[in-house]
Amino acid sequence: MRHKKKQNRMHRPKTMAQEADRHELYQRAVQSPDADVEFFTDRFEQLRNRPALRLREDFCGTALLATTWCMSYPERTAVGVDLDGATLGWGRERNIDPVREELGDRLELIEGDVREAEAAPVDITCAMNFSYCVFTTRDALRGYFEAARRGLKEDGIFIAELYGGTEAIDILEEERELDGFTYVWDQERYNPLDHSTTCHIHFDFDDGSRIEKAFTYEWRLWTIPELRELLLEAGFADVRVFWEEVEADEDDDEDDEDAMMSGTGEYVEVTELDENQESWLVYLVALA
Amino acid sequence: MTAADAGTFRARMSRAESTLRKTMASQADRHALYEQAVQDPERDVRFFSRVYRRLRGRDALRLREDFCGTAALCHAWAQSMPERTAVGVDLCQETMNWGTRRWIEPAGEEVASRIALVHGDVREPRGPKADLACGLNFSYNCFKTRAELREYFEAARAGLDKEGLFFIDLLGGMESMIEGVTDNDQGDFIYRWEQARFNARTHELLCYIHFVFPDGSEIRRAYTYDWRLWTAPELQELLLEAGFSKVHFYWEKTDREGDGTGVFYEPSFVENQEIWWTYMAAEA
Repeated sequence: MRHKKKQNRMHRPKTMAQEADRHELYQRAVQSPDADVEFFTDRFEQLRNRPALRLREDFCGTALLATTWCMSYPERTAVGVDLDGATLGWGRERNIDPVREELGDRLELIEGDVREAEAAPVDITCAMNFSYCVFTTRDALRGYFEAARRGLKEDGIFIAELYGGTEAIDILEEERELDGFTYVWDQERYNPLDHSTTCHIHFDFDDGSRIEKAFTYEWRLWTIPELRELLLEAGFADVRVFWEEVEADEDDDEDDEDAMMSGTGEYVEVTELDENQESWLVYLVALA
Repeated sequence: MTAADAGTFRARMSRAESTLRKTMASQADRHALYEQAVQDPERDVRFFSRVYRRLRGRDALRLREDFCGTAALCHAWAQSMPERTAVGVDLCQETMNWGTRRWIEPAGEEVASRIALVHGDVREPRGPKADLACGLNFSYNCFKTRAELREYFEAARAGLDKEGLFFIDLLGGMESMIEGVTDNDQGDFIYRWEQARFNARTHELLCYIHFVFPDGSEIRRAYTYDWRLWTAPELQELLLEAGFSKVHFYWEKTDREGDGTGVFYEPSFVENQEIWWTYMAAEA
C-alpha cells in the first residue's frame, strides 16, 4: 500500500500553475519592451534632436526593458534599479545571461532604492508600470522625482506611465486571454478619500489551476495634474503628456459597448483629454 | 425621472401650454430656482452646529459664509439662535442684493442686524474672527492652481477664531469626471446639471445649470461653472499646507434603499460610487 501511495504521489501531474513562472507570465502579459524602446527613442529624438544612448530603468524588476534597450543598438547602455534582489536575479539569469556576449558590460543592475541609487548620468530615466505609485505622499513622490532629475544629463528626459479613467477608480476584475494562460487584473479596493488602491495580478490556466495574487500592489493612484505639479516642483522645466491611441480588438465589434479597446502603440501628444475614457494610459514626459 | 414623474410632467406641460402666454422661463427667477433645487441651508446649519459642538464643547456663534450668493445660509444661521451672527462674502453684488430682498429684509430688523454682507474677494480676510467658516457648493473649485487654492484656505483660516472650524463640500465619484446631463424633477421645473467638458489632463470641469419648465421653455445656462475638480486627498493636503491642524471627512449614512439619512459619520475608507458629494471640516 505504501508503495502504491508513493507511486501515486510521484505520478500526480503538477498543475499548470505549479509549473508556471510568474515573472515570465508577467513579462508576456504586461510588458512590451520593443514598443517602449521605440517610443523612448522617437520622443528623445523629437525633443532633443539627438539620439538617446543611455537609459535608466527605475523599478526595473527583471530588467527586460533595460536589456531590450541595450540590444536595440550597440552603442546603447543602461542601468536598472530595483529593491528586489530575487527579481533582479531572475532577470540576470533569464534576460541577461542569454545575450551576455552581445551585451558585454553595457548593462548595470543596482539593488537599491530608486531615490538613492547612484549611476552615471543618463539620457532617459523611466518609471514604468505605475511603480512610483508606491510613494503615497507628495513629499515622498517629489523626493523620487528630484532624485530622477538629478540622475539625468542636462538635456535628459524622465518618462512615467500612468493609468486612469472612470474604471480606474472602481472595483473591477478584467481578464485577458493570452497563449496558454489568462491574465487577470483585479482592482480589489479603491478609496476615494485618499486615492489608495489595492490591485492584484492573478494568472489562470486551462486546467483550472491559478496563481492567486502573483503580484500585489498597494498604491496611491495619482492624477495627471498632481504628477505634473510634482514634476515641476521637483525642478523639471516642462511636462508633456502623450496618450496611446486605442482601437477595438479584432474580434470585437467597435460599436459594442463591451468591446475591449486595445492600445495601437501609436502615441499622440495631448493638451486636452476631453471625454474622460473608461480606461486610459498615458506617458508623462518631463524635460530636465 | 421615473415613468410616473414623466407622466405628471407631461400633463402639467399640456395644461401650462393652454393657459400661459408668457413662457414659464421668462417669468421664473433663477436664484429662487437655484435655492429650491440645490440648497438646504437649515440642514447645513444643523450639521455644522452639531460638529462644532462635538469638537469644541460649545455652540458656534459667528459664521462666515464665503461665496455666499443669496446668503440663504447666513439667514438660516441668524434665525437658528438669537446670539448668532453671520457675515456673507461674495463677488456678485446683484446676487447679494437679491438675497437681501428675499431673506434679510423680510426677517425683520432684529435678525437683519446680525447679518452683514460684504462685496469682495473671499481671499481677503476680514474680522471679527468667526467660529465657523464655510465655502459651499464646490465654489472653491474656481481656484485652479494649488497656489491659489492654498491662498484661499490660508485666508479662510486667518479669518477664524483659534478654535474655529472651516467647512467645504466636495464632489466626486466615477461620474463626476465624465461629460453628461442629470435631470432632477423639482415638481414645477426640472433642474438640469450638465457636465459639458472634463479634461483628464488638468481636471478642469465645465458645468452648467439649466432650468426646464413644463411649457417646454427653459433657462439655458442659468449658471456656468468653470472649475478644476479637486480631489479629496488634494483638498486635505492643501488644507494642512494652509495651516489647518486636522482635517475631517464626513460621509452620509444611507438607508437600505441607498437614500441619504442626513446622518454623517467619519470614515477612513469608503467604497467609491458613481457620484457623491460630502463635507470636509478643517480645524484652525
